[in-house]
Amino acid sequence: MKLLIFTPAVKTSAIGRMTCLVSHALIAQGHQVVVVRAESDALLSRPSHDFGTRMIPWNDEMQVSDAAAQCDIAVYQVGDNYQYHEGCVTWLARLPGVVCLHDFFIGHMFHAWAQKNMDAANSILKHWYGDDVVKRFFKYPDNPAFIEGTKDEAPLTEWIASQALGVITHSRWGTPRLTRSCAGPVRVVPLAYDAPEESLVTPDYQPNKFGRMKLLTIGHINRNKRVANVIRAIAASPLLKQNVVYRLVGSIDPETALELSALANGSRVNLVISGAVDDTELAHAVGEADVMSCLRWPSLEAASASAIEAMLYGKATVVTDTGFYSEIPDDCVEKISHEDEINEVRATLERLYSSPGARAALGERARQWASSTHSAENYARQLVDASIASQKSRPRVNAKAYFVRVMKQWGASDELLRAEETVASLAVMN
Amino acid sequence: MKVLIVNNMAPFVWGGAEELAVNLQKNLIIAGHDSEVLRIPFQWEPASRISSQMLMVRALELWNVDKVIALKFPAFYIRHPDKTLWLLHQYRQAYDLYDAGQTNLPPGQEGDDIRTLITNADNEAFAESKRIFTNSEVTRRRLKKYNGFDATVLLPPINDPELFTGGQFGDYIFAGGRINGMKRQHLLLEALARTSSNVRLIIAGPPDSPADGDQLREAVERLGLGDRVKLDLRFLPRETYAEYLTNAAAVAYLPFDEDSLGYVAMEAATTGKALITTSDSGGILGLVKQGETGWVAEPAAASLANAMNAAFADAALTRSYGRSARDLWSSFEITWPKTVESLLQ
Amino acid sequence: MKIALISTFIPFIYGGARNIVEWLQAMLEKEGHQVERIYLPQIDAPDLLFQQMTAFRWIDLSSADRVICFRPQAHLIQHPHKILWFIHHIRSFYDLWDNDLYRGCPDDEKHRGLRAALHDADTAALREAKRIFTNSRVVSDRLKHFNGVDSEVLYPPVFDSERFYTRQYNDEIVCICRLEHHKRQHLLVDAMEFTKTPVRLRLCGSSSSSHYPDELERRIAELGVCDRVTLDYRWITEEEKADYFADCLATAYLPEDEDSYGYPSIEASHSAKAIITTTDSGGVLELVQDGVNGFVTEPSAERLAEVMDKLYVDRELAKQMGRNALERLDEINISWSHVLRRLLA
Repeated sequence: MKLLIFTPAVKTSAIGRMTCLVSHALIAQGHQVVVVRAESDALLSRPSHDFGTRMIPWNDEMQVSDAAAQCDIAVYQVGDNYQYHEGCVTWLARLPGVVCLHDFFIGHMFHAWAQKNMDAANSILKHWYGDDVVKRFFKYPDNPAFIEGTKDEAPLTEWIASQALGVITHSRWGTPRLTRSCAGPVRVVPLAYDAPEESLVTPDYQPNKFGRMKLLTIGHINRNKRVANVIRAIAASPLLKQNVVYRLVGSIDPETALELSALANGSRVNLVISGAVDDTELAHAVGEADVMSCLRWPSLEAASASAIEAMLYGKATVVTDTGFYSEIPDDCVEKISHEDEINEVRATLERLYSSPGARAALGERARQWASSTHSAENYARQLVDASIASQKSRPRVNAKAYFVRVMKQWGASDELLRAEETVASLAVMN
Repeated sequence: MKVLIVNNMAPFVWGGAEELAVNLQKNLIIAGHDSEVLRIPFQWEPASRISSQMLMVRALELWNVDKVIALKFPAFYIRHPDKTLWLLHQYRQAYDLYDAGQTNLPPGQEGDDIRTLITNADNEAFAESKRIFTNSEVTRRRLKKYNGFDATVLLPPINDPELFTGGQFGDYIFAGGRINGMKRQHLLLEALARTSSNVRLIIAGPPDSPADGDQLREAVERLGLGDRVKLDLRFLPRETYAEYLTNAAAVAYLPFDEDSLGYVAMEAATTGKALITTSDSGGILGLVKQGETGWVAEPAAASLANAMNAAFADAALTRSYGRSARDLWSSFEITWPKTVESLLQ
Repeated sequence: MKIALISTFIPFIYGGARNIVEWLQAMLEKEGHQVERIYLPQIDAPDLLFQQMTAFRWIDLSSADRVICFRPQAHLIQHPHKILWFIHHIRSFYDLWDNDLYRGCPDDEKHRGLRAALHDADTAALREAKRIFTNSRVVSDRLKHFNGVDSEVLYPPVFDSERFYTRQYNDEIVCICRLEHHKRQHLLVDAMEFTKTPVRLRLCGSSSSSHYPDELERRIAELGVCDRVTLDYRWITEEEKADYFADCLATAYLPEDEDSYGYPSIEASHSAKAIITTTDSGGVLELVQDGVNGFVTEPSAERLAEVMDKLYVDRELAKQMGRNALERLDEINISWSHVLRRLLA
């Protein structure tokens, strides 16, 4: 099969990294891959992953059109970040294909796209969610309010799914919206990731040196990673206060850093803020951690790269029992209910501290499960399968697009387009 | 040339437009072309269906056709690079009938949306047509008023002119054509009750429904006109119809606001019979000139009665009106060969 | 009953697929039913298929009591009492997919997806039908194989079979059908090289181009059999056809792998004449039984020559086979009364 894959390619993109693994796996399985780099202009010249095949920028109209004419299927890696996925959104509207959806909530990407496409954006909001949403959508005072106000009522999942010939996503929880809006098949495939190399574990690492337990949270440190509550949980336990070092690795706002430091100092919790680091340093940090905290609230992504990574490293991992994380087998991670977060985190950390053996066993089970489930080979195979199945929806999708075009040329109102008797399940296509 | 005539179809209904299409086909073949009629089923009830019907026609693909002649909405949405319209009907319920409050389009935004859709789609179809003809002045005017397009009036010829010749100056007025409320044959009966006793009337044609026929029979009974009226309410064989028409003293045709001249009027004029009609009858007024080719009465029994009396008052005058009607009709030069020529320009 | 007959067509291409519809219409009307015939244009271009199919789904024929669908994709029509007289699939996406010459599109992922989607849509539409009839065992088998649906074979009769008669059994083997390569008249010409008796051959029919008829003429000259072969390259009238069949010794009809038996073999049977055909002719083999109402030979010149000679030498055999041919029609229910009985059940 000849696949044309639209994806962010810049090195800092986790999705780009995943696509890279899949691309190599596809080629190893005998398929042909051409990659279209999807970042916004400003990022196109930044260093990229090596996909092992030809790569063209999304804004080279002629090259992309040519490649499109020759491929069997177009594949779009879509996530909630317009800067990384601008090319995907632009081409998906013209060239239906299979979407690999990394985030069920893509409100941020939609919001950014809408800035240059306001009429279409309002149309889309009205079509899927109604007039009320149209009124509120662009008027939230800040990001938390925006997320809170839209994540359940207007996540914009349908906007992308309705343009796809088929969707692959990475966990089950957000699929109802997909099945309702996608003309083609919807499939859940475990996110591809690679196991870290052995050598990345620090050679002089000694577990539990001085009997202390190393707790680690990685990634962009924001409110939804629940760091403050973890600090409070440690603070609530004399045992933990004494014996746990909580390290944060990843970019962090100065204000947030100040806030968290103050909180930790105030309750005498041992907090280490490392800030953003390079890949090697990050790998070391994970390698020497005893426990990973991958708590999330709210959980907006289809799957968590950091949680999967933690498991691939064989780490005892603590997660919130929601979304993607709920679907991980119970014996592979420690699941915390958000309602009683601080208490449960405290109790869980205490339990993990008391038994290094249990920690190691948990981590090993996690590693086995993650490496067999989240392999690039499996993802590649399923992507090819899904592509074949999606080809079947193309004629219907194209036929519907034809009628929508004609109706729009005739000045059809949204209501008419929605009407049951005419084009009932048509999506509002860009 | 391979000429495809494209018309609507209401399944199991056969009327004037269907006859026209078939006769156009016949005459195209006589002129040496190959011709077929494509009849597209069209369902306009309920109004929410209409957009799907428009899309349906738009999606049809034609191959092996040199020219298309389309007759009605939505048939004229069919795509072809060489398309000529001979507009018999727009969807009046989106235009003049909508203004008159006689429409199946729902009130409010929904109806407006459909109207907008129809208007835009119509304009697209008109713009992409090579030539636009209409079958009457009324239709031409409406097209100009509502859609802004110019068209040439091309009146449809009668189909069998050889039947409409000769005959006597009889003792009755003949009212032919379909029987229904809009054709208003009942008005002639009301009028007959007020005419002198020498005025006789034959009403002949198929009632649209049993009730339409009953209405006339009941009126004859009620008004005691049994000895002066003959009702022959059925689909008439062509010869019978021609027999009635060619042997009349004059011919009456008074529908409410019809677009076209009406075959009855054209056949009467071909034969050379004076015409009686009413001021609100529409297209027929192109043929009936008061004091020249016949009488134009008010749509009321009294006024019509005057006209009917007048037809018998001076036979010579009536005959001369008939001749003038024939001359006027001839001057229009509405024949099939000329029609085919115009359409294929 | 109000019955709608619906089929797809290409304007200005007449013949086979239209005959079955129009002859059925005539027979139904003779029985007193009201029949509406709907022909819809369709092009089999892969990228346009689904939008045309969607258009067909929007057609409303609810005013009919039942609808009968013929050529694809007419079976997409929706109706509570839908009957199919299924004559063939869009074969390039079914049994001809593996044939590069006929597929009409590349065998790549995209088109395989289209094929899968078409199969799904067809199967769903077929399942909506109350009853499915086909015109041959071949087509029924394909429906079962590709769409998993059962169907009943309903052989299409020829119109007005009374015009065929038997007058004599002369020296000629007659083949009356279009002169086309896939009809394989050249095999019959080649056979003349090997015949040992004075048996003659008459080939008549029109053609889509003069290319094949010219080839036949060349071959006849090459073989030096002009004195025993008549090549009539022109449109044969129905009267001429009936006369040739009435007089001939026997007939031949040996197309390459046709779905249905073809009208020529039925016409021959009504004239009580044996039919020579070949093992690879397809649907004809549902009618012709070797040694009973004709011969089924290998498609080789020598074998064909053998059976032609056999018939020449043994007139009694020719007559007996002719009688069997007539009986065979009843045996497998090739009659309009049977057709009407099954369609209206």
